[in-house]
Amino acid sequence: MNPRERTGLFLAAPTVLYMAFFFVLPAFLLFVYSFYRSKAYVPIPDFVFDNYARALTSKGFWLVVWLSVKVGLSTGAISVAASFPVAWYIVYRTRGNALLYLILASWITSYLVRIYGWRMILGSNGFVNTTLVQLGIIDQPLDFLLYNPVAVVIALVHIYLPLTLLMLISSLRDVRPEYLEAARDLGAGSTTTLLKVIVPMINRGLTGAFMFTTVLAAGDYVAPQVLGGTNSVTAGLLISNQFRATGNWPFGAALAFVNFAVFVAVYFAFTNLLRLAGLAPNRRIH
Amino acid sequence: MLRGYVWLYVFILFGPLLLIVLFSFHSSPAQTFPMQGLSLIWYRKFFDNHVLVESLKNSLIVATCSASLTTVLGSMAALALARLQGWKKNAFGFLTFAPVALPGLFIGVALLVLFAQFGISRSLVTVALAHTLISLPFFLEASRSRLDYFDLSLEEAARDLGATPWQSFRLVTLPIVAPTLIGAAILSFAISFDEVIITIFTSGERTTLPIAIWSMMRQAMTPVINAASVMALSCVVLVIGSFGLFGWARRRWSLGQRRSARVEA
Repeated sequence: MNPRERTGLFLAAPTVLYMAFFFVLPAFLLFVYSFYRSKAYVPIPDFVFDNYARALTSKGFWLVVWLSVKVGLSTGAISVAASFPVAWYIVYRTRGNALLYLILASWITSYLVRIYGWRMILGSNGFVNTTLVQLGIIDQPLDFLLYNPVAVVIALVHIYLPLTLLMLISSLRDVRPEYLEAARDLGAGSTTTLLKVIVPMINRGLTGAFMFTTVLAAGDYVAPQVLGGTNSVTAGLLISNQFRATGNWPFGAALAFVNFAVFVAVYFAFTNLLRLAGLAPNRRIH
Repeated sequence: MLRGYVWLYVFILFGPLLLIVLFSFHSSPAQTFPMQGLSLIWYRKFFDNHVLVESLKNSLIVATCSASLTTVLGSMAALALARLQGWKKNAFGFLTFAPVALPGLFIGVALLVLFAQFGISRSLVTVALAHTLISLPFFLEASRSRLDYFDLSLEEAARDLGATPWQSFRLVTLPIVAPTLIGAAILSFAISFDEVIITIFTSGERTTLPIAIWSMMRQAMTPVINAASVMALSCVVLVIGSFGLFGWARRRWSLGQRRSARVEA
Protein backbone atom coordinates (compact mmCIF):
# COMPACT_ATOMS: atom_id res chain seq x y z
CA MET A 1 0.00 0.00 0.00
CA ASN A 2 1.50 3.32 -1.03
CA PRO A 3 1.60 6.29 1.37
CA ARG A 4 -1.00 8.18 -0.67
CA GLU A 5 -3.54 5.41 -0.24
CA ARG A 6 -2.68 5.07 3.45
CA THR A 7 -3.44 8.76 3.96
CA GLY A 8 -6.67 8.19 2.03
CA LEU A 9 -7.77 5.40 4.36
CA PHE A 10 -6.87 7.48 7.40
CA LEU A 11 -8.96 10.38 6.06
CA ALA A 12 -11.87 8.09 5.22
CA ALA A 13 -11.95 6.41 8.64
CA PRO A 14 -14.12 8.92 10.57
CA THR A 15 -16.76 8.97 7.84
CA VAL A 16 -16.75 5.19 7.59
CA LEU A 17 -17.28 4.93 11.36
CA TYR A 18 -20.02 7.53 11.26
CA MET A 19 -21.77 5.81 8.35
CA ALA A 20 -21.42 2.42 10.01
CA PHE A 21 -23.13 3.59 13.18
CA PHE A 22 -25.76 5.95 11.77
CA PHE A 23 -26.57 4.34 8.45
CA VAL A 24 -25.56 0.69 8.12
CA LEU A 25 -26.39 -0.30 11.71
CA PRO A 26 -29.84 1.40 11.73
CA ALA A 27 -30.78 -0.16 8.39
CA PHE A 28 -29.68 -3.55 9.74
CA LEU A 29 -31.60 -3.03 12.99
CA LEU A 30 -34.72 -2.09 11.03
CA PHE A 31 -34.35 -5.35 9.13
CA VAL A 32 -33.95 -7.29 12.37
CA TYR A 33 -37.01 -5.55 13.83
CA SER A 34 -39.09 -6.64 10.86
CA PHE A 35 -38.91 -10.19 12.27
CA TYR A 36 -39.92 -9.16 15.81
CA ARG A 37 -43.35 -9.49 17.33
CA SER A 38 -45.29 -6.59 18.75
CA LYS A 39 -47.22 -6.80 21.98
CA ALA A 40 -49.11 -3.78 23.33
CA TYR A 41 -47.05 -1.48 21.10
CA VAL A 42 -43.78 -2.91 22.42
CA PRO A 43 -41.47 -4.72 19.99
CA ILE A 44 -40.49 -8.17 21.32
CA PRO A 45 -37.36 -9.90 19.97
CA ASP A 46 -38.33 -12.95 17.96
CA PHE A 47 -37.79 -14.48 14.56
CA VAL A 48 -41.15 -14.72 12.85
CA PHE A 49 -42.31 -13.99 9.32
CA ASP A 50 -45.75 -12.88 10.52
CA ASN A 51 -45.15 -9.22 9.65
CA TYR A 52 -44.19 -10.03 6.08
CA ALA A 53 -47.06 -12.50 5.73
CA ARG A 54 -49.47 -9.87 7.02
CA ALA A 55 -48.07 -7.20 4.68
CA LEU A 56 -48.01 -9.44 1.60
CA THR A 57 -51.53 -10.75 2.08
CA SER A 58 -53.12 -7.42 2.95
CA LYS A 59 -55.12 -6.11 0.02
CA GLY A 60 -55.22 -2.65 1.58
CA PHE A 61 -51.43 -2.49 1.68
CA TRP A 62 -51.08 -3.39 -2.00
CA LEU A 63 -53.65 -0.76 -2.94
CA VAL A 64 -51.63 1.78 -1.01
CA VAL A 65 -48.38 0.62 -2.62
CA TRP A 66 -50.01 0.80 -6.04
CA LEU A 67 -51.09 4.38 -5.34
CA SER A 68 -47.54 5.26 -4.20
CA VAL A 69 -46.08 3.73 -7.34
CA LYS A 70 -48.52 5.75 -9.45
CA VAL A 71 -47.82 8.96 -7.52
CA GLY A 72 -44.07 8.31 -7.74
CA LEU A 73 -44.01 7.43 -11.44
CA SER A 74 -46.23 10.36 -12.42
CA THR A 75 -44.07 12.74 -10.40
CA GLY A 76 -40.91 11.29 -11.95
CA ALA A 77 -42.25 11.37 -15.51
CA ILE A 78 -43.67 14.90 -15.27
CA SER A 79 -40.53 16.22 -13.56
CA VAL A 80 -38.20 14.74 -16.18
CA ALA A 81 -40.37 15.87 -19.12
CA ALA A 82 -40.77 19.38 -17.71
CA SER A 83 -37.11 19.78 -16.72
CA PHE A 84 -35.46 18.38 -19.84
CA PRO A 85 -35.96 21.48 -22.04
CA VAL A 86 -34.70 23.67 -19.21
CA ALA A 87 -31.64 21.46 -18.70
CA TRP A 88 -31.02 21.68 -22.45
CA TYR A 89 -31.32 25.45 -22.34
CA ILE A 90 -28.96 25.81 -19.40
CA VAL A 91 -26.31 23.46 -20.83
CA TYR A 92 -26.27 24.62 -24.46
CA ARG A 93 -27.63 28.14 -24.41
CA THR A 94 -26.28 29.82 -21.28
CA ARG A 95 -22.77 30.48 -20.09
CA GLY A 96 -23.02 31.57 -16.50
CA ASN A 97 -24.42 29.55 -13.65
CA ALA A 98 -26.73 32.24 -12.27
CA LEU A 99 -29.95 30.55 -13.43
CA LEU A 100 -28.75 27.21 -12.10
CA TYR A 101 -27.95 28.66 -8.69
CA LEU A 102 -31.32 30.40 -8.57
CA ILE A 103 -33.10 27.10 -9.20
CA LEU A 104 -30.86 25.23 -6.77
CA ALA A 105 -31.58 27.82 -4.08
CA SER A 106 -35.31 27.32 -4.52
CA TRP A 107 -34.87 23.63 -3.89
CA ILE A 108 -32.93 23.62 -0.63
CA THR A 109 -34.86 26.38 1.06
CA SER A 110 -38.48 25.51 1.02
CA TYR A 111 -39.70 21.92 1.24
CA LEU A 112 -42.54 22.51 3.66
CA VAL A 113 -43.25 26.01 2.43
CA ARG A 114 -44.11 24.69 -1.02
CA ILE A 115 -46.54 22.11 0.29
CA TYR A 116 -48.19 24.88 2.29
CA GLY A 117 -48.21 27.10 -0.78
CA TRP A 118 -50.17 24.54 -2.77
CA ARG A 119 -52.72 24.24 -0.03
CA MET A 120 -53.12 28.02 -0.19
CA ILE A 121 -53.52 27.87 -3.96
CA LEU A 122 -55.83 24.87 -4.30
CA GLY A 123 -57.90 25.14 -1.09
CA SER A 124 -61.60 26.04 -1.16
CA ASN A 125 -60.69 29.60 -0.15
CA GLY A 126 -57.55 29.44 -2.25
CA PHE A 127 -56.43 31.48 -5.22
CA VAL A 128 -57.80 29.22 -7.93
CA ASN A 129 -61.27 29.04 -6.43
CA THR A 130 -61.62 32.68 -5.42
CA THR A 131 -60.34 33.85 -8.79
CA LEU A 132 -62.78 31.59 -10.64
CA VAL A 133 -65.66 32.76 -8.41
CA GLN A 134 -64.72 36.40 -8.85
CA LEU A 135 -64.59 35.99 -12.60
CA GLY A 136 -68.06 34.46 -12.44
CA ILE A 137 -66.98 31.20 -14.02
CA ILE A 138 -68.21 29.15 -11.06
CA ASP A 139 -70.65 29.92 -8.21
CA GLN A 140 -69.33 27.50 -5.63
CA PRO A 141 -65.69 26.79 -4.81
CA LEU A 142 -64.53 23.55 -6.42
CA ASP A 143 -63.81 21.13 -3.60
CA PHE A 144 -62.14 18.53 -5.75
CA LEU A 145 -58.99 20.59 -6.31
CA LEU A 146 -57.57 19.65 -2.95
CA TYR A 147 -57.43 16.39 -0.99
CA ASN A 148 -56.72 14.02 -3.83
CA PRO A 149 -53.68 12.33 -5.37
CA VAL A 150 -53.49 14.90 -8.19
CA ALA A 151 -52.87 17.70 -5.70
CA VAL A 152 -50.18 15.54 -4.08
CA VAL A 153 -48.49 14.96 -7.46
CA ILE A 154 -48.61 18.68 -8.30
CA ALA A 155 -46.87 19.59 -5.05
CA LEU A 156 -44.32 16.77 -5.33
CA VAL A 157 -43.45 17.73 -8.91
CA HIS A 158 -42.96 21.27 -7.70
CA ILE A 159 -40.72 20.09 -4.86
CA TYR A 160 -38.54 17.71 -6.89
CA LEU A 161 -38.28 19.68 -10.17
CA PRO A 162 -34.98 21.35 -9.20
CA LEU A 163 -33.43 18.03 -8.15
CA THR A 164 -34.46 16.38 -11.44
CA LEU A 165 -33.12 19.38 -13.32
CA LEU A 166 -29.74 19.22 -11.58
CA MET A 167 -29.35 15.53 -12.37
CA LEU A 168 -30.33 16.06 -16.02
CA ILE A 169 -27.90 18.97 -16.31
CA SER A 170 -25.01 16.98 -14.92
CA SER A 171 -25.59 14.17 -17.45
CA LEU A 172 -26.21 16.53 -20.38
CA ARG A 173 -22.86 18.18 -19.68
CA ASP A 174 -21.25 14.95 -20.90
CA VAL A 175 -22.84 15.33 -24.33
CA ARG A 176 -20.55 17.83 -25.95
CA PRO A 177 -22.07 20.28 -28.45
CA GLU A 178 -19.71 18.87 -31.12
CA TYR A 179 -21.67 15.60 -31.14
CA LEU A 180 -24.87 17.48 -31.83
CA GLU A 181 -23.20 19.45 -34.61
CA ALA A 182 -21.88 16.23 -36.10
CA ALA A 183 -25.39 14.75 -36.02
CA ARG A 184 -26.77 17.83 -37.73
CA ASP A 185 -24.04 17.77 -40.37
CA LEU A 186 -24.86 14.15 -41.11
CA GLY A 187 -28.44 15.14 -41.79
CA ALA A 188 -30.23 14.25 -38.56
CA GLY A 189 -33.26 16.33 -37.66
CA SER A 190 -33.82 17.47 -34.09
CA THR A 191 -36.05 14.50 -33.22
CA THR A 192 -33.52 12.04 -34.62
CA THR A 193 -30.71 13.78 -32.76
CA LEU A 194 -32.71 13.59 -29.56
CA LEU A 195 -33.63 9.90 -29.88
CA LYS A 196 -30.50 8.53 -31.54
CA VAL A 197 -27.77 10.66 -30.00
CA ILE A 198 -28.79 12.42 -26.81
CA VAL A 199 -31.07 9.88 -25.12
CA PRO A 200 -28.74 6.90 -25.67
CA MET A 201 -25.81 8.97 -24.42
CA ILE A 202 -27.51 10.16 -21.27
CA ASN A 203 -29.63 7.09 -20.59
CA ARG A 204 -27.99 6.45 -17.25
CA GLY A 205 -28.48 10.02 -16.15
CA LEU A 206 -32.03 9.99 -17.46
CA THR A 207 -32.85 6.77 -15.62
CA GLY A 208 -31.14 8.13 -12.53
CA ALA A 209 -33.08 11.39 -12.57
CA PHE A 210 -36.37 9.61 -13.21
CA MET A 211 -35.91 6.90 -10.59
CA PHE A 212 -34.49 9.27 -7.99
CA THR A 213 -37.49 11.54 -8.30
CA THR A 214 -39.87 8.59 -8.38
CA VAL A 215 -38.46 6.97 -5.24
CA LEU A 216 -38.27 10.20 -3.26
CA ALA A 217 -41.78 11.23 -4.29
CA ALA A 218 -43.26 7.83 -3.53
CA GLY A 219 -41.65 7.82 -0.09
CA ASP A 220 -42.86 11.29 0.80
CA TYR A 221 -45.38 11.28 3.59
CA VAL A 222 -45.73 14.98 4.39
CA ALA A 223 -47.43 16.10 1.16
CA PRO A 224 -50.09 13.33 1.29
CA GLN A 225 -51.00 14.36 4.83
CA VAL A 226 -51.50 17.99 3.93
CA LEU A 227 -52.90 17.73 0.40
CA GLY A 228 -54.01 14.14 0.02
CA GLY A 229 -57.15 13.63 2.06
CA THR A 230 -58.43 10.25 3.13
CA ASN A 231 -58.38 8.58 -0.29
CA SER A 232 -54.72 9.20 -0.93
CA VAL A 233 -52.91 7.34 1.81
CA THR A 234 -49.51 6.50 0.36
CA ALA A 235 -47.17 3.76 1.51
CA GLY A 236 -44.97 6.38 3.17
CA LEU A 237 -47.86 7.61 5.25
CA LEU A 238 -48.93 4.07 6.15
CA ILE A 239 -45.39 3.16 7.24
CA SER A 240 -44.85 6.35 9.22
CA ASN A 241 -48.15 5.75 11.07
CA GLN A 242 -46.78 2.42 12.31
CA PHE A 243 -43.86 4.23 13.94
CA ARG A 244 -45.95 6.49 16.14
CA ALA A 245 -45.96 5.77 19.88
CA THR A 246 -49.01 3.54 19.43
CA GLY A 247 -47.83 1.71 16.37
CA ASN A 248 -46.56 -1.70 15.47
CA TRP A 249 -42.86 -1.09 14.77
CA PRO A 250 -42.00 -4.58 13.53
CA PHE A 251 -44.95 -4.49 11.10
CA GLY A 252 -43.89 -1.00 9.98
CA ALA A 253 -40.35 -2.27 9.41
CA ALA A 254 -41.65 -5.15 7.27
CA LEU A 255 -43.81 -2.72 5.27
CA ALA A 256 -40.76 -0.53 4.68
CA PHE A 257 -38.73 -3.44 3.30
CA VAL A 258 -41.55 -4.75 1.10
CA ASN A 259 -41.98 -1.21 -0.23
CA PHE A 260 -38.25 -0.99 -0.86
CA ALA A 261 -38.33 -4.28 -2.78
CA VAL A 262 -41.21 -2.99 -4.90
CA PHE A 263 -39.17 0.02 -5.96
CA VAL A 264 -36.13 -2.07 -6.76
CA ALA A 265 -38.44 -4.10 -9.02
CA VAL A 266 -39.81 -0.92 -10.61
CA TYR A 267 -36.24 0.23 -11.24
CA PHE A 268 -35.31 -2.97 -13.07
CA ALA A 269 -38.55 -2.97 -15.01
CA PHE A 270 -37.88 0.57 -16.16
CA THR A 271 -34.26 0.00 -17.21
CA ASN A 272 -35.26 -3.13 -19.13
CA LEU A 273 -38.07 -1.22 -20.82
CA LEU A 274 -35.61 1.44 -21.98
CA ARG A 275 -33.31 -1.25 -23.31
CA LEU A 276 -36.16 -2.96 -25.18
CA ALA A 277 -37.13 0.37 -26.70
CA GLY A 278 -33.56 0.64 -27.99
CA LEU A 279 -32.97 3.83 -26.05
CA ALA A 280 -30.42 2.39 -23.67
CA PRO A 281 -27.39 0.63 -25.10
CA ASN A 282 -25.68 -1.83 -22.80
CA ARG A 283 -22.32 -0.24 -23.24
CA ARG A 284 -21.23 3.28 -22.55
CA ILE A 285 -20.59 5.25 -25.70
CA HIS A 286 -18.53 7.99 -24.17
CA MET B 1 -40.06 29.79 -27.43
CA LEU B 2 -37.63 27.71 -25.38
CA ARG B 3 -36.62 30.86 -23.58
CA GLY B 4 -40.24 31.61 -22.76
CA TYR B 5 -40.67 28.08 -21.40
CA VAL B 6 -37.60 28.45 -19.19
CA TRP B 7 -39.02 31.63 -17.71
CA LEU B 8 -42.37 29.93 -17.16
CA TYR B 9 -40.53 27.09 -15.37
CA VAL B 10 -38.72 29.54 -13.11
CA PHE B 11 -41.95 31.43 -12.52
CA ILE B 12 -43.77 28.24 -11.48
CA LEU B 13 -40.88 27.34 -9.16
CA PHE B 14 -41.00 30.67 -7.39
CA GLY B 15 -44.66 31.66 -7.79
CA PRO B 16 -46.03 29.84 -4.72
CA LEU B 17 -43.14 31.14 -2.62
CA LEU B 18 -43.83 34.70 -3.72
CA LEU B 19 -47.49 34.29 -2.80
CA ILE B 20 -46.52 33.19 0.70
CA VAL B 21 -44.12 36.09 1.12
CA LEU B 22 -46.74 38.52 -0.18
CA PHE B 23 -49.51 37.31 2.12
CA SER B 24 -47.26 37.24 5.16
CA PHE B 25 -47.52 41.05 4.96
CA HIS B 26 -51.30 41.06 4.49
CA SER B 27 -53.26 43.03 7.08
CA SER B 28 -56.18 40.57 7.05
CA PRO B 29 -56.21 36.82 7.62
CA ALA B 30 -57.80 36.29 4.19
CA GLN B 31 -55.28 34.78 1.80
CA THR B 32 -56.89 35.95 -1.42
CA PHE B 33 -56.67 38.84 -3.83
CA PRO B 34 -57.40 41.73 -3.80
CA MET B 35 -55.20 42.46 -0.81
CA GLN B 36 -56.65 44.85 1.71
CA GLY B 37 -53.48 46.39 3.06
CA LEU B 38 -50.03 45.72 4.38
CA SER B 39 -49.00 45.10 7.96
CA LEU B 40 -46.46 43.29 10.09
CA ILE B 41 -49.09 41.80 12.37
CA TRP B 42 -48.25 38.18 11.50
CA TYR B 43 -44.59 38.77 12.23
CA ARG B 44 -45.51 40.24 15.59
CA LYS B 45 -47.60 37.16 16.28
CA PHE B 46 -44.63 35.02 15.23
CA PHE B 47 -42.32 36.74 17.71
CA ASP B 48 -44.98 36.62 20.45
CA ASN B 49 -45.22 32.86 20.02
CA HIS B 50 -42.35 31.57 22.12
CA VAL B 51 -42.64 28.04 20.74
CA LEU B 52 -41.90 29.36 17.26
CA VAL B 53 -39.09 31.66 18.38
CA GLU B 54 -37.55 28.85 20.43
CA SER B 55 -37.76 26.49 17.44
CA LEU B 56 -36.10 29.08 15.21
CA LYS B 57 -33.18 29.21 17.67
CA ASN B 58 -33.07 25.42 17.75
CA SER B 59 -32.99 25.30 13.96
CA LEU B 60 -30.06 27.69 13.87
CA ILE B 61 -28.20 25.62 16.47
CA VAL B 62 -28.90 22.31 14.74
CA ALA B 63 -28.01 23.60 11.27
CA THR B 64 -24.76 25.14 12.54
CA CYS B 65 -23.72 21.97 14.39
CA SER B 66 -24.72 19.67 11.57
CA ALA B 67 -22.98 21.81 8.95
CA SER B 68 -19.82 21.88 11.09
CA LEU B 69 -19.79 18.12 11.56
CA THR B 70 -20.55 17.62 7.86
CA THR B 71 -17.70 19.93 6.93
CA VAL B 72 -15.18 18.09 9.10
CA LEU B 73 -16.25 14.62 7.96
CA GLY B 74 -16.95 15.73 4.39
CA SER B 75 -13.63 17.52 3.83
CA MET B 76 -11.72 14.50 5.06
CA ALA B 77 -13.89 12.18 2.97
CA ALA B 78 -13.47 14.33 -0.15
CA LEU B 79 -9.70 14.34 0.28
CA ALA B 80 -9.84 10.58 0.87
CA LEU B 81 -11.79 10.05 -2.37
CA ALA B 82 -9.04 11.86 -4.27
CA ARG B 83 -6.49 9.41 -2.87
CA LEU B 84 -8.24 6.06 -2.80
CA GLN B 85 -8.25 3.83 -5.83
CA GLY B 86 -10.05 0.80 -7.20
CA TRP B 87 -12.68 -0.99 -5.14
CA LYS B 88 -11.91 1.00 -2.01
CA LYS B 89 -12.78 4.21 -3.81
CA ASN B 90 -15.96 2.69 -5.27
CA ALA B 91 -17.10 1.22 -1.96
CA PHE B 92 -16.44 4.44 -0.09
CA GLY B 93 -18.18 6.48 -2.78
CA PHE B 94 -21.19 4.17 -2.66
CA LEU B 95 -21.38 4.24 1.14
CA THR B 96 -21.34 8.02 1.27
CA PHE B 97 -23.91 8.39 -1.51
CA ALA B 98 -26.40 5.72 -0.41
CA PRO B 99 -28.33 7.79 2.19
CA VAL B 100 -29.80 10.12 -0.44
CA ALA B 101 -30.89 7.29 -2.70
CA LEU B 102 -33.28 6.09 0.00
CA PRO B 103 -36.46 7.96 0.91
CA GLY B 104 -36.04 10.08 4.03
CA LEU B 105 -38.77 8.05 5.69
CA PHE B 106 -36.67 4.89 5.57
CA ILE B 107 -33.72 6.66 7.20
CA GLY B 108 -35.99 8.33 9.73
CA VAL B 109 -37.56 5.11 10.99
CA ALA B 110 -34.22 3.28 10.93
CA LEU B 111 -32.68 5.97 13.15
CA LEU B 112 -35.74 5.89 15.40
CA VAL B 113 -35.18 2.16 15.88
CA LEU B 114 -31.44 2.72 16.51
CA PHE B 115 -32.07 5.35 19.20
CA ALA B 116 -34.73 3.19 20.85
CA GLN B 117 -32.51 0.10 20.77
CA PHE B 118 -29.60 1.84 22.49
CA GLY B 119 -31.72 3.94 24.82
CA ILE B 120 -30.48 7.20 23.31
CA SER B 121 -33.01 9.88 24.16
CA ARG B 122 -33.99 12.03 21.24
CA SER B 123 -32.85 15.63 21.36
CA LEU B 124 -31.32 18.33 19.21
CA VAL B 125 -28.13 16.23 19.23
CA THR B 126 -29.83 13.29 17.52
CA VAL B 127 -31.40 15.70 15.00
CA ALA B 128 -28.01 17.22 14.14
CA LEU B 129 -26.47 13.75 13.79
CA ALA B 130 -29.31 12.65 11.52
CA HIS B 131 -29.06 15.77 9.35
CA THR B 132 -25.35 15.13 8.85
CA LEU B 133 -26.26 11.78 7.32
CA ILE B 134 -28.17 13.38 4.46
CA SER B 135 -26.09 16.53 4.01
CA LEU B 136 -22.83 14.56 3.73
CA PRO B 137 -23.64 13.11 0.28
CA PHE B 138 -24.52 16.57 -1.02
CA PHE B 139 -21.39 18.03 0.55
CA LEU B 140 -19.27 15.45 -1.25
CA GLU B 141 -21.10 15.85 -4.53
CA ALA B 142 -20.66 19.63 -4.35
CA SER B 143 -16.98 19.56 -3.42
CA ARG B 144 -16.00 16.61 -5.57
CA SER B 145 -15.89 18.27 -8.98
CA ARG B 146 -13.26 20.67 -7.69
CA LEU B 147 -11.33 18.23 -5.50
CA ASP B 148 -11.14 15.61 -8.25
CA TYR B 149 -9.09 18.04 -10.28
CA PHE B 150 -6.89 18.87 -7.32
CA ASP B 151 -3.35 18.02 -8.27
CA LEU B 152 -1.95 15.74 -5.58
CA SER B 153 1.56 16.34 -6.92
CA LEU B 154 1.38 19.90 -5.54
CA GLU B 155 1.15 18.40 -2.08
CA GLU B 156 3.94 15.96 -2.81
CA ALA B 157 6.13 18.80 -4.04
CA ALA B 158 5.60 20.56 -0.72
CA ARG B 159 6.57 17.37 1.09
CA ASP B 160 9.71 17.02 -1.03
CA LEU B 161 10.64 20.56 -0.09
CA GLY B 162 10.55 19.53 3.56
CA ALA B 163 7.03 20.41 4.70
CA THR B 164 5.37 18.16 7.28
CA PRO B 165 2.06 16.55 6.20
CA TRP B 166 0.17 19.09 8.32
CA GLN B 167 2.16 22.01 6.88
CA SER B 168 1.60 20.89 3.31
CA PHE B 169 -2.12 20.56 4.03
CA ARG B 170 -2.41 23.95 5.73
CA LEU B 171 -0.21 25.92 3.31
CA VAL B 172 -0.91 24.21 0.01
CA THR B 173 -4.09 22.13 -0.01
CA LEU B 174 -6.35 24.20 2.22
CA PRO B 175 -5.98 27.55 0.41
CA ILE B 176 -6.87 25.85 -2.87
CA VAL B 177 -9.90 23.87 -1.70
CA ALA B 178 -11.24 26.28 0.97
CA PRO B 179 -13.72 28.21 -1.23
CA THR B 180 -15.25 24.95 -2.46
CA LEU B 181 -15.51 23.59 1.07
CA ILE B 182 -17.14 26.77 2.36
CA GLY B 183 -19.71 26.58 -0.43
CA ALA B 184 -20.45 22.95 0.39
CA ALA B 185 -20.75 23.85 4.10
CA ILE B 186 -23.38 26.49 3.28
CA LEU B 187 -25.26 23.89 1.27
CA SER B 188 -25.22 21.56 4.31
CA PHE B 189 -26.53 24.35 6.51
CA ALA B 190 -29.42 24.96 4.13
CA ILE B 191 -30.26 21.26 3.86
CA SER B 192 -30.32 20.87 7.63
CA PHE B 193 -32.35 24.04 8.14
CA ASP B 194 -35.01 22.87 5.70
CA GLU B 195 -35.20 19.20 6.67
CA VAL B 196 -38.61 17.85 7.76
CA ILE B 197 -39.02 14.15 7.02
CA ILE B 198 -36.15 12.76 9.10
CA THR B 199 -36.46 15.40 11.82
CA ILE B 200 -39.99 14.22 12.64
CA PHE B 201 -38.58 10.86 13.75
CA THR B 202 -35.36 12.01 15.37
CA SER B 203 -36.42 15.05 17.39
CA GLY B 204 -37.47 14.97 21.02
CA GLU B 205 -39.36 17.67 22.89
CA ARG B 206 -37.24 20.51 21.58
CA THR B 207 -37.74 20.78 17.90
CA THR B 208 -36.84 22.76 14.80
CA LEU B 209 -38.74 25.52 13.00
CA PRO B 210 -39.99 23.36 10.11
CA ILE B 211 -41.44 20.89 12.61
CA ALA B 212 -43.13 23.69 14.55
CA ILE B 213 -44.58 25.00 11.29
CA TRP B 214 -45.62 21.47 10.39
CA SER B 215 -47.60 21.02 13.61
CA MET B 216 -49.28 24.41 13.08
CA MET B 217 -50.16 23.41 9.53
CA ARG B 218 -51.89 20.31 10.75
CA GLN B 219 -54.11 22.31 13.08
CA ALA B 220 -55.34 25.30 11.10
CA MET B 221 -54.52 27.65 8.28
CA THR B 222 -53.26 30.84 9.88
CA PRO B 223 -51.17 33.55 8.24
CA VAL B 224 -48.67 33.13 11.11
CA ILE B 225 -47.53 30.11 9.09
CA ASN B 226 -46.74 32.49 6.22
CA ALA B 227 -44.67 34.69 8.50
CA ALA B 228 -42.88 31.65 9.99
CA SER B 229 -42.17 30.30 6.49
CA VAL B 230 -40.74 33.63 5.43
CA MET B 231 -38.55 33.69 8.56
CA ALA B 232 -37.23 30.22 7.68
CA LEU B 233 -36.67 31.21 4.05
CA SER B 234 -34.88 34.43 4.92
CA CYS B 235 -32.50 32.72 7.36
CA VAL B 236 -31.23 30.41 4.63
CA VAL B 237 -31.24 33.12 1.97
CA LEU B 238 -29.23 35.39 4.30
CA VAL B 239 -26.62 32.70 4.86
CA ILE B 240 -26.34 31.86 1.16
CA GLY B 241 -26.35 35.55 0.21
CA SER B 242 -23.61 36.50 2.63
CA PHE B 243 -21.47 33.71 1.29
CA GLY B 244 -22.09 34.86 -2.27
CA LEU B 245 -21.10 38.39 -1.32
CA PHE B 246 -18.02 37.10 0.46
CA GLY B 247 -16.95 35.09 -2.57
CA TRP B 248 -17.54 38.04 -4.88
CA ALA B 249 -15.51 40.39 -2.66
CA ARG B 250 -12.69 37.85 -2.38
CA ARG B 251 -12.49 37.39 -6.13
CA ARG B 252 -12.39 41.14 -6.69
CA TRP B 253 -9.73 41.50 -4.05
CA SER B 254 -7.49 38.79 -5.48
CA LEU B 255 -7.96 40.12 -9.02
CA GLY B 256 -6.93 43.54 -7.74
CA GLN B 257 -3.87 42.02 -6.07
CA ARG B 258 -2.86 40.30 -9.25
CA ARG B 259 -3.27 43.50 -11.25
CA SER B 260 -1.15 45.55 -8.85
CA ALA B 261 1.47 42.79 -8.78
CA ARG B 262 1.65 42.96 -12.55
CA VAL B 263 2.03 46.75 -12.43
CA GLU B 264 4.88 46.47 -9.94
CA ALA B 265 6.59 43.86 -12.06
